This record gives sequence, C-alpha cells and structure tokens, in this order.
Amino acid sequence: MLEIVSGDGKVHLRGRFDAAEVDRARGVFDGIADSCVVDFSGLSYISSAGLGLLFATQKRLVDAGKALTLVNLNPHIREIFHIAGFDKIFEIS
Amino acid sequence: MRTSRAGFHREIGSLEEIFGFLEDFAKSAGVDEGTALVIDLVVEELFTNMVRHNEGGGDRIAVELERSGDQLRIELVDFNVEDFDPSSVPQPPLTAGIEDRRPGGLGLHLVRSMVDDLHFEYEPQARQMRVWATKRLET
Repeated sequence: MLEIVSGDGKVHLRGRFDAAEVDRARGVFDGIADSCVVDFSGLSYISSAGLGLLFATQKRLVDAGKALTLVNLNPHIREIFHIAGFDKIFEIS
Repeated sequence: MRTSRAGFHREIGSLEEIFGFLEDFAKSAGVDEGTALVIDLVVEELFTNMVRHNEGGGDRIAVELERSGDQLRIELVDFNVEDFDPSSVPQPPLTAGIEDRRPGGLGLHLVRSMVDDLHFEYEPQARQMRVWATKRLET
C-alpha cells in the first residue's frame, strides 16, 4: 500500500510504490505544477511502474522549466535509481 | 531445499496477493530483507509484463520460488500465449538526459541487473512461456 501526503511544495511517500498503486498516485503527481521535493523517507520499495510515473512527471515539469527533487532514498531504492540511469534525470539529495 | 508455488489471476490487482506469497516464502526460506526486495521486484516486473503483453492468455500465471543452499530460483509460467522474444525489447538509453529518454523497457533492464541469469523459453505445442531467473545469495 502506498500513502501519499502532499502540501507546502512537498510530497511524502510512504509504503510501496508498485504497479497496483500507480493509477491512484497518478492523480497526485499529475496535479504537481511547480518544482517540488519528493520525500522518500517512508518508502521501502519501488518498481518500474513507480519510476515511470516519476519520469513522466519530471519530463512535464522540466519542459516547463521546473523539476522534482528527490530526498531520503534508502540504499535499495537509490540502487534502483542508479541502475535505471535515473540519477542523471533527477536531482537526488 | 525450500519450494513454494502458486497461481495468480492475470490482473495487476493480483500483486497484493503475490507480495504476501513472496513474503511468506522469504521468511520460510530465511532470505534477508534486501534479497526479499529483489524477489519482489523481479516477480512484479515479469508478472506485469505477462499481464500487459500476453492479452488473451490463460486465466492464471504460475509463480514458483526455490531456495537450495545459496541458490535462489524464480520462475513464472504463462499459459495459452503467443511466442514473444524479450530480447527484442531494446535496452533504455541509460546515460541519456531526460530529453532523450522514454519510459519503456525499464522493467526488464532492472530484472536483468538484479539477477545472475535470466532465461525465456517458449513451448509452442503447449503454448507456454516460461521465464526463470537465478541468483546466488550472499551467506
């Protein structure tokens, strides 16, 4: 189960970001219109489905001169981002 | 040796049940947390590929896990499907910037990166696609 809390220019993710959660998460990410920090501190798992939604959001924002910044990725998720080459697409801190 | 096998409905909504099955296996097989996350990822990516690309296939997809010593084997079998060559899926341009990236092909790339071997075998008479991966566990 994925929990998403958004507000004040931040999105907090908690739980697991898998293919079964993407449609619900899309409703939140499609509503992001400005640069935003995504806090991964409560996220334990992400698959290509979650990566795909983050990618689509980043692409839309970058085209508008804005961007997502990702923070507090655990080592497993950081490795997933590295393998995907997404550490070149997102600012990760 | 520890083996678990189950069949799951061909729908993305089966993932919650699948993750429960994988968690039970990881506990009973003494698999560490990091490896359990790799198992989750491999099975999710292969399962969702079968659901999306083998439309019209059988109602269920079989998942089998086996631990024997330091060897882990993950196998999925899809029934009543057409042949599909996964090697035809191009690897995403991993070093490209966002302007040259497309979202597709990432799942299979993640799977290949996280296991030691990945095999696809199609049995035309049975119309079955069998996919299996092996991974050596750190002990």
